Amino acid sequence: MSNLTGRQRLSRLEVKLSPYLYVSPFFIVFAIVGLFPLLYTAWVSVHQWHLIGGQGEMIGLGNYTAVLEQPNFWKSLRNTFSIFLLSSVPQVIAAIVIAYFLDTNIRAKTFWRMGVLLPYVVAPVAVSMIFAKIFADQSGAANALLALVGLDPIAWHGSAFWSHVAIATMVNFRWTGYNALIFLAAMQAIPREIYEAAIVDGASRWKTFFSVTVPMLRPTIIFVVITSTIGGLQIFDEPRMFDTMGTGGSDKQWMTLTMYIYELGWGAQKSFGRAAAVSWILFLIIIVVGAINFLITRRIASSDAKGARR
Amino acid sequence: MTQMSSPMAEQLVGKGAARAIRRRQSFGTNRRPSWRTYLVLTIVLLISVYPLYFTFLLASSDAATIARNPIPSLVPGPNFLDNVQRVLASDIKLWQALGNSVIVAVVTSLSVVFFSTLAGFAFSKLRFRGRNGLLVFVVATMAVPTQLGIVPLFIVMSKLGWIGQLQAVIVPGLVTAFGVFWMTQYLREALPFELIEAARVDGASMIRTFWSVALPAARPAASMLALFTFVGSWTNFFWPFIVLGSTNPTLPVSLQLLQASYFKDYSLIMAGVVVATVPLIIMFAFAGKQLVAGIMQGAVKG
Amino acid sequence: MRSAFKTLTALACVTALAACSGGDTTDTSSGTTNDGASGQKVTITVATFNEFGYEDLIKEWNAANPDIQVEHKKAATSNEARDNMNTRLAAGSGLADIEAIEVDWLPELAQYPDAFVDLNDPSVEGRWLDWKTQAATVDGKLIGYGTDIGPEAVCYRADLFEKAGLPTDRDEVAKLLEGDWDTYFEVGKQFVAKSGGVAWFDSAGATYQGMINQMEAPLENTDGTPKPLDQNAEIKALYERILQASVDDKLSAGLSQWSEDWTAGFQQDKFATMLCPGWMLGVIEGNAEGVTGWDVADVFPGGGGNWGGSYLTVPAQGKNTDAAKKVAAWLTAPEQQAKAFASKGTFPSQVKALEDPAVLDFSNPFFNDAPVGKIMANRAQAVTISPYKGPNFFAITTVVTDALTRVDVDKTDDAASSWTKAVDAYKALGIS
Repeated sequence: MSNLTGRQRLSRLEVKLSPYLYVSPFFIVFAIVGLFPLLYTAWVSVHQWHLIGGQGEMIGLGNYTAVLEQPNFWKSLRNTFSIFLLSSVPQVIAAIVIAYFLDTNIRAKTFWRMGVLLPYVVAPVAVSMIFAKIFADQSGAANALLALVGLDPIAWHGSAFWSHVAIATMVNFRWTGYNALIFLAAMQAIPREIYEAAIVDGASRWKTFFSVTVPMLRPTIIFVVITSTIGGLQIFDEPRMFDTMGTGGSDKQWMTLTMYIYELGWGAQKSFGRAAAVSWILFLIIIVVGAINFLITRRIASSDAKGARR
Repeated sequence: MTQMSSPMAEQLVGKGAARAIRRRQSFGTNRRPSWRTYLVLTIVLLISVYPLYFTFLLASSDAATIARNPIPSLVPGPNFLDNVQRVLASDIKLWQALGNSVIVAVVTSLSVVFFSTLAGFAFSKLRFRGRNGLLVFVVATMAVPTQLGIVPLFIVMSKLGWIGQLQAVIVPGLVTAFGVFWMTQYLREALPFELIEAARVDGASMIRTFWSVALPAARPAASMLALFTFVGSWTNFFWPFIVLGSTNPTLPVSLQLLQASYFKDYSLIMAGVVVATVPLIIMFAFAGKQLVAGIMQGAVKG
Repeated sequence: MRSAFKTLTALACVTALAACSGGDTTDTSSGTTNDGASGQKVTITVATFNEFGYEDLIKEWNAANPDIQVEHKKAATSNEARDNMNTRLAAGSGLADIEAIEVDWLPELAQYPDAFVDLNDPSVEGRWLDWKTQAATVDGKLIGYGTDIGPEAVCYRADLFEKAGLPTDRDEVAKLLEGDWDTYFEVGKQFVAKSGGVAWFDSAGATYQGMINQMEAPLENTDGTPKPLDQNAEIKALYERILQASVDDKLSAGLSQWSEDWTAGFQQDKFATMLCPGWMLGVIEGNAEGVTGWDVADVFPGGGGNWGGSYLTVPAQGKNTDAAKKVAAWLTAPEQQAKAFASKGTFPSQVKALEDPAVLDFSNPFFNDAPVGKIMANRAQAVTISPYKGPNFFAITTVVTDALTRVDVDKTDDAASSWTKAVDAYKALGIS
């Protein structure tokens, strides 16, 4: 220690402390606007707690067990996963494909790139109107098209499956271009000489895509898969806007978990305690599904990378 | 923000960055786009543009025509200017809302980009105790359902005396878990360790290394993040509505007042949507080139 | 010590920005009176949604009362206003001095009368229709001043009536439909037989809404306990009767209200009548623009009925509740409400306003110049019942309307299987 000059010691301290300093802004903001709400919610979830009436008796895990016994909880869990699968899988694939096409030496790059992002810019009220007009059961464009080709109309609201398809379409519409740009930014970071090497080796474009692009995108794919898992399992706006009541249909056929939370806390019952309990259950589900997705994605992407090196 | 040449970069920001730029410029895509590329992108673009055009179609129409035709005709109606005038003339504090929206969007996007890149740099390239644990924690915070956070967050803002004030919307958005995670993942691949080491050998302090090496390397991802944050903040409705209300509104909060009657005049509402979206499109037009330049840093110049 | 005390006092004066003009005063409490009577300026915030028609009224008040300035906060829809209000009630702060509420929120808010100031006052006694006041009274405490109401009449398409061989004149139609719900359904059957595919009314759900608002205690006992749905024979009978008329007799167009199909239905001649509260006239006029033939008949099946309407409340968390009460009383006075009706069509709930020529002489050209002011005033007088809606009313009524929608609109169930689902859904609420 005594061998070190003052400057070196300072530098060492700098190396040790600066990482913490750099990540601290996030944790400070999070402590105020994230951690307190999280702990508050946990506290609420072990009480009988009316939204307006406030805190009641402490009932331990009573809210959790009560909620797990409700058929609507399981129904909304099913709906959430169904909509999540119908939206995230096609969306990630389409986004990579679009990014792949954008990552070429096309003319008017700004134009194409900004164009892809437009659905994200349009106000939700406009988006919900458009889809209300497309998926209306009697007067909608989708069923009008089906009728043109001689098919029976689809019960977009009555049937659980088709309502999920319609909602997933709304989600995909808004977020595919957004994810495509995320992939594009990552593709731009791939050193071009790797491509050149692959082409020199005589690899087809298809093979280059799978053995070079996809493995190199690994961190980004992990990022997109995890954020869309988190966003997808919390899906709220689209199913809520799917009809004017916003309660998930007459048979709760498209009520998702976050809508269920809202319904419990802000709806007729105003049971803030139960809503908090479902929030925590959802939180845990997301962590588990996110971790599983992380492991799967890492596996796929790294086995591809190995294949590429061979 | 013109492309920086490497000697100039060397002078301005140090050798590391100059090497990074040289490295990038020497690569280039050889992929010449085929007609298929244009076809696919044109289809994607048509789908993307339609809702915006749809908004404009309704904004140029009138309530009765909209009600009669489930799918509007592709030719705009004659009432666009009238409807926009009605929006501008309505008593909804539009100019104040526009100013507020600009302030909130600019401040949050600058701040998110800066703090997220800083944290992303630390998480991806610096070794410190508890790094992985903290990163997992950051990601986990995204999993907290937002609907339920509203009440406790409102309590916090009320205790701080910020109800109705812009900082109640700005502060929660100063740095996001999404941004931190995104910059971490990006820098992990895009910033080679050798660059950092080179800068350190050159005697640069940690913060200078960040400034001269990490920030330039992060530019493509940072411009994306700025764009997303700006748009997200511009269109955000629920929290500003709850905490600001109509007395000190942002644009979406003020525009929702256009639907304040039992019968909704969609031509008026959509004219409002156009009024709110046009500044964003103008910003796209001006900043778009630079944003793309940012994204395109990795690709060949000329 | 004395000088230290003086310094403190001065500091307190500065921080309170109070009128401590004399440097030698030691009365630090003088700056804290806030009742608006002492010449102190106060600002009262009024939070409303949709259209209350208060813009000009507030200007009028502010010009006449420099001491109490009113600031208007608006939300677009009642749903948003409700989210806003619930969040602030839950957080215990941030509410406006005067909060407008819909009659539908009363059952849940009435469980927390302490959150609101008692607005009983000799000066407003007898101002409103009895049933309007009664709905906002909890254990003798008045928690809201009535603003508007939604007395229901029958809106109909005279042109479609004519094609089906029914009378078209509004007085004759009123005579034709005079009676109970069976009469309404019977005439509907005659109409549908000759209408060539046009339904009689828009949806089973809307009909349910009209019928349930005529029952004294539809879903709960007046002590607040819920009536178990599987034992509620009255509701089951009503459910079956509505579905018999809607589906078996094909009277319903199967368009759930406010949906895209429903809105489009106005332009496509999907149905010939609607149960319409006063505020619905504007909705019909907007959705059916360009369609000729709408008219209003001074009649409602089963007597009178009210759907919707609002109140002004004064939350107890406010600082200037006395001044707020004064402003609320002024805004809901008959003269002011008559002006609001003239500007935005919110139909007044005040007895005197119902006799006001500004209201009575009001006619609507879209509805074939029907004297809607006079018709709605008559319909308001015909309302005799204020149904009891307790803490669980909305949870249970949603279960029943969902059951109706499954059969009438979605067509995924028949009446019997949908009822079984409703009984299960009721049990899942866990309230009995």
